[in-house]
Amino acid sequence: MFIARSEYGRLFQVEYSLEAIKLGSTAIGVSTAAGVILGVEKRITSTLLETSSVEKIVEIDRHIGCAMSGLQADARSMIEHARVTSQSHEFHYNERLGVESCTQAICDLALRFGEGAEGEESIMSRPFGVALLIAGYDEEGPSLYHAEPSGTFYRYDAKAIGSGSEGAQAELQNEFHKSLTLEEAEVLVLKTLKQVMEEKLDSNNVQLASVTRDKGFRIHTDEEMAGVVSRLEGSGA
Amino acid sequence: MASLFSASLPSSDPSYSFNQAPTTASEPRQHAFYPYTDNGGSTLGISGADFTIIAGDTRSTSGYNINTRYAPKLFKIGGDGPNNENARIVLSVVGFAADGRALKERLDTVVKMYKYQHGKDISVHACAQRLSHLLYNKRFFPFYVTAILGGVDDEGKGALYSYDPVGSYEREQCRAAGAAASLIMPFLDNQVNLKNQYDPNSGPGLEKKPREAQPLPRETVEQLVKDAFTSAVERHIEVGDGLQTMIITKDGIQETYSPLKKD
Amino acid sequence: MDALVQQYSRPSHQNTLSSNAAFPDDSELTTTIPPPLSLKFALPPITAPQSWLRSMTDDHANPSCPIKIAHGTTTLAFRFKGGIVVATDSRATAGNWIASQTVKKVIEINSCLLGTMAGGAADCQYWLAYLGMQCRLHELRHKQRISVAAASKILANLVYSYKGMGLSMGTMCAGVTPTEGPALYYIDSDGTRLSGNLFCVGSGQTFAYGVLDAEYKYDMEDDEALELGKRSILAATHRDAYSGGFINLYIVKEKGWEKIGFMDTNPIFWQTKLEKGEFSNVTAKLD
Repeated sequence: MFIARSEYGRLFQVEYSLEAIKLGSTAIGVSTAAGVILGVEKRITSTLLETSSVEKIVEIDRHIGCAMSGLQADARSMIEHARVTSQSHEFHYNERLGVESCTQAICDLALRFGEGAEGEESIMSRPFGVALLIAGYDEEGPSLYHAEPSGTFYRYDAKAIGSGSEGAQAELQNEFHKSLTLEEAEVLVLKTLKQVMEEKLDSNNVQLASVTRDKGFRIHTDEEMAGVVSRLEGSGA
Repeated sequence: MASLFSASLPSSDPSYSFNQAPTTASEPRQHAFYPYTDNGGSTLGISGADFTIIAGDTRSTSGYNINTRYAPKLFKIGGDGPNNENARIVLSVVGFAADGRALKERLDTVVKMYKYQHGKDISVHACAQRLSHLLYNKRFFPFYVTAILGGVDDEGKGALYSYDPVGSYEREQCRAAGAAASLIMPFLDNQVNLKNQYDPNSGPGLEKKPREAQPLPRETVEQLVKDAFTSAVERHIEVGDGLQTMIITKDGIQETYSPLKKD
Repeated sequence: MDALVQQYSRPSHQNTLSSNAAFPDDSELTTTIPPPLSLKFALPPITAPQSWLRSMTDDHANPSCPIKIAHGTTTLAFRFKGGIVVATDSRATAGNWIASQTVKKVIEINSCLLGTMAGGAADCQYWLAYLGMQCRLHELRHKQRISVAAASKILANLVYSYKGMGLSMGTMCAGVTPTEGPALYYIDSDGTRLSGNLFCVGSGQTFAYGVLDAEYKYDMEDDEALELGKRSILAATHRDAYSGGFINLYIVKEKGWEKIGFMDTNPIFWQTKLEKGEFSNVTAKLD
């Protein structure tokens, strides 16, 4: 397969996919000592849209979840790969997969649009057009990773991706501190989302999820969402 | 080519004449396929409160012949470099030494790769499951080995796992394997698990209370291992020459060698 | 003849029968990050691996076979008013040798599904763990727990694909889901899959059936049903030499399974004899 490069050695395909993510809906992750909070905006494009069918936060395993921004269809195969990797690890080693290893497994897929160095088959025609925020809780404690379509990943205390990421990241930079509680992090995520969203934030057009030691990955129920939204409004933000 | 080959095949049948139709002689025939040798010997493992001890004799036999008096059955798994420095897991294999060696190589590779991939040392717990699957991967062409895996678990307690040739496994307090397993295991049942020992102060009949097994101190266990092997050597021809012992604690593996009878 | 020539004039690792034979999972060891889900098993480099495997491992047909695989069992499970009782013994034998008296023959697949182990210990352990993984993946993909019917079918299809290769397992899947209620299936390595109310599996099955069929009724209280399960296994450990050790007892209720105990058979036997007057043919005394 031919991979276009510029005269400066830039790989256009990968750069285009990085651009694609900047068009995606905003997703935010915040890591605290007690666990990680993930939040996404749902972009309800029509009043006829069933909001519960917009699925931008998914479970990878009991202790790992992920939020996405970009082409959601591409995320499906990455999630499936992560789930199979996680289960396969548990099958073979009788222990949970580490969050970093899970992220690594996803990123190993990212560059499979060209033949591999050892002749691995090319499994797709272009790079993924989706970025992921991977949140988990393993024996090392809570952690949050950002996986790009380029296959690189970094660990963050707090990270925003998608169309509103620049503004949101600046906000997180100001507001984040190491002693945040899980509840404060929930409000911080919503507050940040609210600032960068075009629509008015309510409990239907955003979704939160948490990963903690005891409860593992959980998507907030409608009641819990309403609770956090009212706390956000109560805080005067 | 085919006919040339068939002419040179040893056969007790009279060769057929040309007007006879070729019969079974022209069909593929499976000759006895016996890829295993039993190299004898015995291994045993006992786990304590904060250590695990694994021991094996060093004699290697085939039939009534003694191949060598020093063929180790205990292998350090993982750690650094070809000598497995800083390893915390020991695999013992008894049965067919070549299969045992192949199994050890595979497990060692897996454990070392694990460290590169996950950035941490593998736990015995995880290693035990992986070993089971390595054995099961050869379910239809088994490794002729009985494996015992020892180490210290995440809580610092001694951990011992025993396997059948195709990978079914169980965590236990003690296990003997190999030629003298049937001599040693009943001894361990009685001395380590206190089987059929009762509290002398308890009443008769249904009141009788079995003694409860406790993890044994290290000195006692070392002595049990010695007694088990010196006794097995007295009564089994395939056991003898030397006793290789590895004691795994959180601080590392301590290896010792002591001679056994050489007759 | 040609086949024979071919077989020996070609390195065994190129043999069609054993294309993965030499080192089936070496690539797995070094290249892929986690071992892949594709299950590759090594085969001996010969034309009839099945019969070879049988000659090496079947201690029933050939008591002096070199590789003795752990076997032998009594397991039972039955449905009743309050759910499902699952009971097993704990003995593993390799030929006449008792390989273990403490085998856990009830395998906890997940919080609502149990599998039992009869036949080859490794076959059951491996494939029920594999089933556990498949059930979990089903749960992630479909956002609901797998039905017992579907889980048992995954296992049945799986063993059927290895039919004739020498797998040996007789297993029961007992579980509960909101749609099915308590459900019980029997699956064996021939590919049989049956749903039912009552099964006993293993070398001691006939003895267990004897007690269970005589006393079983659907309307039983939990303790009554557990006692019957225990008593049936006890009968089997008494008459079947390949069964013994401990009685492993579980119950499946609406909320999932619950472990009742792992009980030594010897004191239970004497209790049953001395306190209830059963086993009166045993004239020995306890002292």
